[in-house]
Amino acid sequence: MSVFTIEAGLALLGLVLLLVEAFKPDISRRTLGLTAIAGTALAFVLLLVVRHDTASLPSFMQPWHQLDTLALFYKGFALVITLLVLWLTLECAPYLTRFTVDGKLAEMFSLPLIVCSGMMWMASARDLVTVFVALELVTVSFYVLVAFARKSALSLEAGVKYLILGALSTGILVYGIAWIYGATGTMSFEGIAKALANPATSKPTALFGAALILCGLGFKVAAAPFHMWVPDVYQGAPTPVTAFLSVGSKAAGFVVLTRALDAFLATGSVISTEIQAFLLVIGSLTVLLGSLPAMFQTSVKRLLAYSSISHAGYLLLALACRETARFDLSSGGIVAFYLATYLPMTVLGFLGLGLMRANGLGEDIKDFTGLAKRNPTLALFMTVSFASLAGLPLTAGFIGKLFVFLGLADHGYWGALSCAVIAAAAGFYYYFKTILAMYTTEGVETTALTISTASKAVAGVLAVIILILGVYPKPLQKVLTSGEAAAVAK
Amino acid sequence: MITLGHYLVVSGMLFALGLAGVIARRNILIVYMCLEMMLSAANLALVGFSRFHLVNGLPDYTAQSLVFFTITVAAAEVAVGLAIIVALFRTKQSVDAESVTKLQG
Repeated sequence: MSVFTIEAGLALLGLVLLLVEAFKPDISRRTLGLTAIAGTALAFVLLLVVRHDTASLPSFMQPWHQLDTLALFYKGFALVITLLVLWLTLECAPYLTRFTVDGKLAEMFSLPLIVCSGMMWMASARDLVTVFVALELVTVSFYVLVAFARKSALSLEAGVKYLILGALSTGILVYGIAWIYGATGTMSFEGIAKALANPATSKPTALFGAALILCGLGFKVAAAPFHMWVPDVYQGAPTPVTAFLSVGSKAAGFVVLTRALDAFLATGSVISTEIQAFLLVIGSLTVLLGSLPAMFQTSVKRLLAYSSISHAGYLLLALACRETARFDLSSGGIVAFYLATYLPMTVLGFLGLGLMRANGLGEDIKDFTGLAKRNPTLALFMTVSFASLAGLPLTAGFIGKLFVFLGLADHGYWGALSCAVIAAAAGFYYYFKTILAMYTTEGVETTALTISTASKAVAGVLAVIILILGVYPKPLQKVLTSGEAAAVAK
Repeated sequence: MITLGHYLVVSGMLFALGLAGVIARRNILIVYMCLEMMLSAANLALVGFSRFHLVNGLPDYTAQSLVFFTITVAAAEVAVGLAIIVALFRTKQSVDAESVTKLQG
């Protein structure tokens, strides 16, 4: 048994759940949801125990499928976020069903499994064809998920916007792939790296293709100036889907970006200077255009959307710093580390939002006023999440940002570094504005909010992970280094 | 004699037309049609590059395999996309881009 059977199995489980729901309409959504959760958990356990080296794959798959540390890390990442999203869906179900046709949630449990299998596939991709197909599997499923609450005009509107801009980015991506193929005569990342190192390769053609590919992927990871869709889509989509988009879709985009940039910026590549500059400019723009508008938001969901844009900016800046030996992590490793810290804090934030919604509250900052009085536990968890998103020391978010900032300083990218610092300062303002609102005591309602024990437990685990990673990030760092040392030894 | 340049010019024109349509048109159905045109432009470029990149005297088929994947994916995208647009029309009785401006902050 090899790792790819897990992916195939997950997709199959998704299809089976879809059929079961169609032919047995009286099946309860709890059963469906718990089956999906159990399947994902089983897949995670299997991922840990089965053989995972590229040699364990059938030989015909090896040219386009690989299992290195980064691939395995992102596969685990995809499974964890899917598990959390499925659970969050189940938790928000009573609220969500008010906006769906017939009060059903069937596809909400099967589509995330298919998305997850697409993300896992993408993590292993070795050539642009595989990347394209896996990326589209994820994107097309997300079109449905975003527009899922069809009776809510906002969800439908978000769905249409995501559809148009997602399809646009697909078009740009495929056109870019065509030009890169034209310049290098191959689709595999290794082949592209080799061809780009050859001085005879046509530089303008390669540059045009690479820039288009980066634009296409920029849409998917919400990089400026292709970020216009993010606030609207995040606000309109059902909260579990927003969390999924914000963490899962972004991680999937970044694993592809990591692979593509490893090829484009390989030693001796004819286009490396330009692509490097392009990354720095896009990254600096993204942190600023994410952070500055966030200061003026009144809706917490929109605020989290802008924060997600600025986090994409930090990640792009991390990718621009090649050969950062300081933390025994490559730039791809730092991105993976940052995403691993980003997962618990973002999910915790959206979990809080979902629980507020389930209690009949809105998503504006004013709805958070006096939360500490109404439910101190929830307020505490939200505080941990927001403090970590802001990058307060002793939280996971701080370590991730520290890596990026030190990397930029090591390479002497002072312009980008100052943009990042300004954005981080703005971040402190808007996150702490929300935290302050939660701890206001004057003139607030005092009716208590109830949250289930299971929610409390999950939120507690996420908060503890944030704090542990903030104080002691070594184990995670080690997971991400071990494979790279092995890769170098090879 | 038709050269690679001809294919690329036509594909570039298709792509530019599609992009211009996406940006300028207000009707979501037309926008969607323009998006499909962009995908076709990419397909044309892929086939052109493949035809003129000979391996052992035969065209290199890697790019052509991507064309088939693109066509399939585009069909799936259209199925999902039209369903969403129809759902939008049912609620708003319009497929104009002006009808989706509620989300603002």
